[in-house]
Amino acid sequence: MKKLLFAMCLMTGIIAFSQTAYDKVMTEKIASIEKHQTADEFTALANDFKRIGDKEKTQWLPYYYAAFSTIQKGRMAMREGKVADLDPIAAEAQKSLDLAMDLNKDNAENLILQKMIHGLKMMVDPQARFMSEGMLAADALSKAEKIDAGNPRITLMKAEDTYFTPEQFGGSKARGLELFQKSLDQFKIYKTKSALDPNWGKGEAEYFLANKP
Amino acid sequence: MPTLFLSKIFALVLFLMSFFVTAQITVSGKVNFKNKGVKDISVTLKDTYDGSTTDENGNFFFQTSEKGKQILVFSNPKFVEVEKPLLLENDAITINAELKEQISEIDAVVISAGSIEASDRKRATVLLTPIDIYTTAGANGQVSSALETLPGVQKIGETEGLFVRGGTGAETKFFMDGNLVNNFFGNSVPGIKAMDRLNTSLFKGNVFSSGGYSAMYGQALSSVLILESIDFPERNSVDIGISPIFLSGGFQNVNDEKTKSFGIAAAYSNLGLMTKLLKFNNTFTKAPESFGTNFNFRLKNKSGGILKYYGSFDTNRLGLQDESLEPETDFDNTSLKGKNTFHNISYRQKLGKYLVNLGSSYTFNNNMIDLSNTYQESEFNPNSIDITGNYFNAKGTLERKINKISAIRGGIELNQTRENTDVAISPVPYSFHDRITSVFAETDLGFSNHFSAKVGLRSEYSTAVNQWNLAPRLAFAYRISKNWMSSLAYGTFYQNPENQFFGTHDLNFQKAEHYVLQLQKSEEGRSFRVEAFYKNYRDLIKNKVENYRPVAISNNGDGFAKGIELFWRDKKSIKNIDYWISYSFLDSERNFQNYDQSLFPNFAAKHTLSLVAKKFVTDWKTGFNLSYSYASGRPYYNFLTDDNGNYYLNTQGKVKDFNALNFSLNYLPNLGKKDSKSFTVLVLSVNNILNQKNIYGYNFSSDGLRSKPILPSADTFIFIGAFISFGIDRTQDAIDNNL
Repeated sequence: MKKLLFAMCLMTGIIAFSQTAYDKVMTEKIASIEKHQTADEFTALANDFKRIGDKEKTQWLPYYYAAFSTIQKGRMAMREGKVADLDPIAAEAQKSLDLAMDLNKDNAENLILQKMIHGLKMMVDPQARFMSEGMLAADALSKAEKIDAGNPRITLMKAEDTYFTPEQFGGSKARGLELFQKSLDQFKIYKTKSALDPNWGKGEAEYFLANKP
Repeated sequence: MPTLFLSKIFALVLFLMSFFVTAQITVSGKVNFKNKGVKDISVTLKDTYDGSTTDENGNFFFQTSEKGKQILVFSNPKFVEVEKPLLLENDAITINAELKEQISEIDAVVISAGSIEASDRKRATVLLTPIDIYTTAGANGQVSSALETLPGVQKIGETEGLFVRGGTGAETKFFMDGNLVNNFFGNSVPGIKAMDRLNTSLFKGNVFSSGGYSAMYGQALSSVLILESIDFPERNSVDIGISPIFLSGGFQNVNDEKTKSFGIAAAYSNLGLMTKLLKFNNTFTKAPESFGTNFNFRLKNKSGGILKYYGSFDTNRLGLQDESLEPETDFDNTSLKGKNTFHNISYRQKLGKYLVNLGSSYTFNNNMIDLSNTYQESEFNPNSIDITGNYFNAKGTLERKINKISAIRGGIELNQTRENTDVAISPVPYSFHDRITSVFAETDLGFSNHFSAKVGLRSEYSTAVNQWNLAPRLAFAYRISKNWMSSLAYGTFYQNPENQFFGTHDLNFQKAEHYVLQLQKSEEGRSFRVEAFYKNYRDLIKNKVENYRPVAISNNGDGFAKGIELFWRDKKSIKNIDYWISYSFLDSERNFQNYDQSLFPNFAAKHTLSLVAKKFVTDWKTGFNLSYSYASGRPYYNFLTDDNGNYYLNTQGKVKDFNALNFSLNYLPNLGKKDSKSFTVLVLSVNNILNQKNIYGYNFSSDGLRSKPILPSADTFIFIGAFISFGIDRTQDAIDNNL
């Protein structure tokens, strides 16, 4: 009896320990996404998430964050005008996202990342790729919207697109800002499913609203 | 006591656990590739969270509390994954790794000697995009004209065909989804250049090879243009084109899953109004008029196999009256009636490791030319030439990938030709039959991301020449540094004598050998390419006049072409301006057909220069395109025949240099209007805006004493057109279904 009790204690201890280890490491890594500033740091972070995903095998979030970190690296390259890097980065992100999607089909957050990957590919040659990648990006976002209409990150994506599209092409800074505000309002009421679930984007909306032209 | 014992155990467990937790040991090391540290390598202790990523110098370090036998994995998409076993005890451990490059399609060097690819794939050989064809001034949206701004292609205005590197127009063959396209250009009469028969919008890309091309293609001494049709259209649409010279309409339907699509289109064109508004160098008795219709469908099966069909039917007419050079004759009258139907079907399917490509094309073409002369308002000398051709092509290719960048492929091709020429004044019609059976095999060998090779062999048997040939092809590509690539191609190419020259004499294949050396630099937004080539022609046909027509009597002709070509494209240096420059130098001599000696070919210029520039002004929703072409003066020859029908050179000369500045403008009024139901492009283009008087050559009277220049149909040509595309709006369907 004592032995059994002891064994049970030990088992629950180990299980509890391993659960917290996943939560702990994920919480820590997720928190550090926003702190990262360089491409190399994003690469390292994507590798960290990949490692966690490979170990856990049933969790989609590590792969999701691996893809997200790679996309962030891509968006950084895009801002710096390194268009040639975007295709390989998009391919890398797609690999991680495919793993996440296999574990969690029809998830709005994954579709939002899918939209971002198509967006990166489009930026390689917008004129030539608008019809293909641009369409696929729009498809992914509209699918996400059907699944989770109140998701503030969907609104954030739309806000970005509108904000950065020249007026001649149907964009507008003012309408972009309206959407950033709408996204911010959604952030206030949107509940993430768990502490580890995607919760990024609020800062970006705030940044744009604070830096109104 | 037992509780005390238990608590002791607990204390021990806690102690041990805390020991495990805190007793971390350090794993560190360095990761090298070719003895140099590499960054961004993921180092993972297998099946744990522990690991790190290498820094700038290839160093890594992390801490772990794992114990015992473990495996350390080094991974990065660019390198082959390496696993290293290690034993974790109490001491820090250092472990280094040397990586091997991962061979991948993205990083592998691509053989590009002789070829220019226009597609939206991101590859080293891609120098143009499909949109570039539409936005090149002077190209009028035609693939063949846009190619004239590339190195190696002559700007020939009086005859259709692509004249590449000292080759005749007949030496370039056209392929659609792997199948031969006979009569790529519309029917025409000498001196008037016909347009491309296939609409540019059918294609998602093309590979234009000006030498050293793959063993998959044959029967072309100079060049091939390989067109790849669109798999599935992006959406349903209705398209309309309006211009003073044409009217076109069509629709394209595609299902949501993009597994089925069909479309139909029709176009009518008539140059009548333009001949009244603009000054033409030709006197049209019947302004060029044409009607064409086409139909397509595409099907995709569950396993991803794609069946594509495209079929067209068209007719065209024109009539000309030119002042005659002959004595006691005022005018030469020519009129043309053309009929053509073309069908192309292709099927592509993956079967395990194999890729199967099957395709077939069929062309029926009829060209009826009526000739006569006018003297003092009465017609005489009536004659007509009626050419009817039936062309059938079938091709099957099987391809197997060996590793990521290596493949082996082989196949068989069949070409059948039946041509009948009826000349009214000739007593017997002339008919020509030929069946060419070809087998080919080729292998792509990727040795590393820096070095690859292509080895191919093609063999053909033609019933018309009653012989087999054997054509080896070989090409290499080597990456010199990150941005610089070199490639080298060699090949032997055979082509039958042109159908119309077959007579009673035994003939053989004509032969060309190509040597192409290329250096290319590609960096963000800029590409530079220099290519040197040498072509050796053997067994070209020699002609003689027999029974009132030129007939090939032997394969004793020969020739060479050599040159150097430059291409520079830059989207970066001048803000918002995208431009390319190509320059070609050609030295060539030929002794063939009716040439009685080695001469610089009359269809080639020594120096050719093209400059293409584009700018899109977003605020005005307008694209401005400019192109300038220069070609040094081409030689012209007048050959006469002696009593035995042998040709001799009577007169020769050189025309003045060719110059043309072309301009076009695309205005997209609905651009960016989110809720707009149509997408409109208004086009204004002016070819030869400076109205330069260009001359292509000279026509001579039958005694060679009088001559007159061969001129473009119009020195300056203006085109205005509107292309409107309506994406089919489904809201109406939704409303109808809910009523």
